[in-house]
Amino acid sequence: MTWHWRDWAIDPEQLRRLNLLAGVPLFAGLSRRQLGKLMVKLFEKRYAAGETIFREGDPGKALFIVLEGKISIARAADADRPLAVLGPGAYFGELALIEDQPRFAGARADEDTLLLILYKSHFDDLIEGHKALAVHIMENLLKTLASYVRAEQSRSAPRAAKGTVSLAEPPQTAAERTRR
Amino acid sequence: MSPSPAAAGEAPATRWFPPPPTIVWALAIAIFVSLAYIASDVVVLIIFSAALAYVINPLVRKVEAAAVRRTLAVTAVYLSIVIIIATAAFLIVPRLRAEVVTLSSGAFKQQVDHSVDALHRELIDKYPSLRNVLGDPEARNERLSALFQQQTANLPNLLSHAVEIVIVIVLIPVFSFFLLRDSGKLVRLLMDRLRPDQIETSVAVWCEIERVIGRYLRGLALEALAIGTIASTGLWLLGVNYPLFLGAFSGMANVIPYLGPFLSGTVVAMIAMIQFQSFAPLAKVMLLYLGIKICDLTVIQTLTVGRSVHLHPILLVASLLVGGHAFGLIGMIVAVPIVTALQEVIRLLLDHRRRKAGIRPAHHASSMPIQTYVC
Repeated sequence: MTWHWRDWAIDPEQLRRLNLLAGVPLFAGLSRRQLGKLMVKLFEKRYAAGETIFREGDPGKALFIVLEGKISIARAADADRPLAVLGPGAYFGELALIEDQPRFAGARADEDTLLLILYKSHFDDLIEGHKALAVHIMENLLKTLASYVRAEQSRSAPRAAKGTVSLAEPPQTAAERTRR
Repeated sequence: MSPSPAAAGEAPATRWFPPPPTIVWALAIAIFVSLAYIASDVVVLIIFSAALAYVINPLVRKVEAAAVRRTLAVTAVYLSIVIIIATAAFLIVPRLRAEVVTLSSGAFKQQVDHSVDALHRELIDKYPSLRNVLGDPEARNERLSALFQQQTANLPNLLSHAVEIVIVIVLIPVFSFFLLRDSGKLVRLLMDRLRPDQIETSVAVWCEIERVIGRYLRGLALEALAIGTIASTGLWLLGVNYPLFLGAFSGMANVIPYLGPFLSGTVVAMIAMIQFQSFAPLAKVMLLYLGIKICDLTVIQTLTVGRSVHLHPILLVASLLVGGHAFGLIGMIVAVPIVTALQEVIRLLLDHRRRKAGIRPAHHASSMPIQTYVC
């Protein structure tokens, strides 16, 4: 059996996290070194099946990344129909990194789950000293937000088409036309 | 069937209600503070160890970012620090030791005697009316000798303290090593004990404490290093003896807000006057320390960031007085970051409470005008 320094020096758990972070779309384009800097800022927390991670309306202060298990995101009024079910590598609560608005929906662990948590205070600390890293993450965050806007746009487009409302028109004009 | 107490005419037994959580918390804090006051030596040891761990932690995290095991990362950083200190000691300590030995030798006492004589004569020559106030040199020399004898008599006590100091110097790095190594486990243990709805605010509070104290301590260390270097260079240029020792003292004294620079400036001015046997260097030393203070306020503090504590001046002075009274010099050093951290925590908790109640701060982003989405 040969002894290898890497097996002795490298923490397999940390390595697993690093590899998982590399696959998270929000951190796409970050170098291994930048991912390492991000990784040491993350908290790890285990949730039992059925446990609430946060409720709708709670102040949002953190981004969550699923390391193990399954999470469902649902609005309180429609708890039986989750908006999304997320597995390892997925993330949620990213808007908390921009501003601490109340949570739009609640999150619950469907099974025993291990989450990595990035708190806004830590994120602010991180981007303060690492501008390149901040630009990458912000760019990815903007792309995510743009995709949400596009999805919302395409959802409202058929409705708008019925009343011949164009999103290119100024909203006041569109509203007036709908009333007519 | 036994009759009920009311039916039997007895007063109903008053049911015991647990005290409200605020009272329990206040009691717990009062007990903790009392214990800390009683065992202040241990508290000081823990505070120093935690402070050292805070200063070293960013380096450990840098190593850990490469997925290196925590224990190995801490050991590597410790070894590097030991090597740096050993190298510095090899280069600086002989010179520093020589300065300290000269300062504590009898030759220095003789020099002090001569210098005080010369200063005495200079003052009386310039202002003859001061002769009545200062008295004659013989009487003054007797008083000085008595003072020296008294201080020498205290030396055995100082030596017994030296053993305690050495024990503390050994214990602090050992404590901070284990604090650094196991901090992740401690944090995880705490996180698992927290209710999910408390966790976000708790971590935000923790981050704030870590940010304030960590930055303050790291800033303080950098500032002390910068001030020490500038003071040593300045004193060497002025031709004052023991520049390294006095520079190191100035850097360390600077960690005491307000009082530190004044203290170090006074000591250095006295030593310079003794060396040159004249009042002439007083102005030079004062100018040097004024320049250092201006440089500190305008450049060094801006660069080290950590000193930017947002405390009201009255609160700052009050915290210094209370800290100094309770824990002496150490209390004065740690009072400011602790009170700043407390202030930040209270601000965060109030903010959290306001948000829960649906009240937004005036500067909140959502109150900004938003352009209507067009395409």
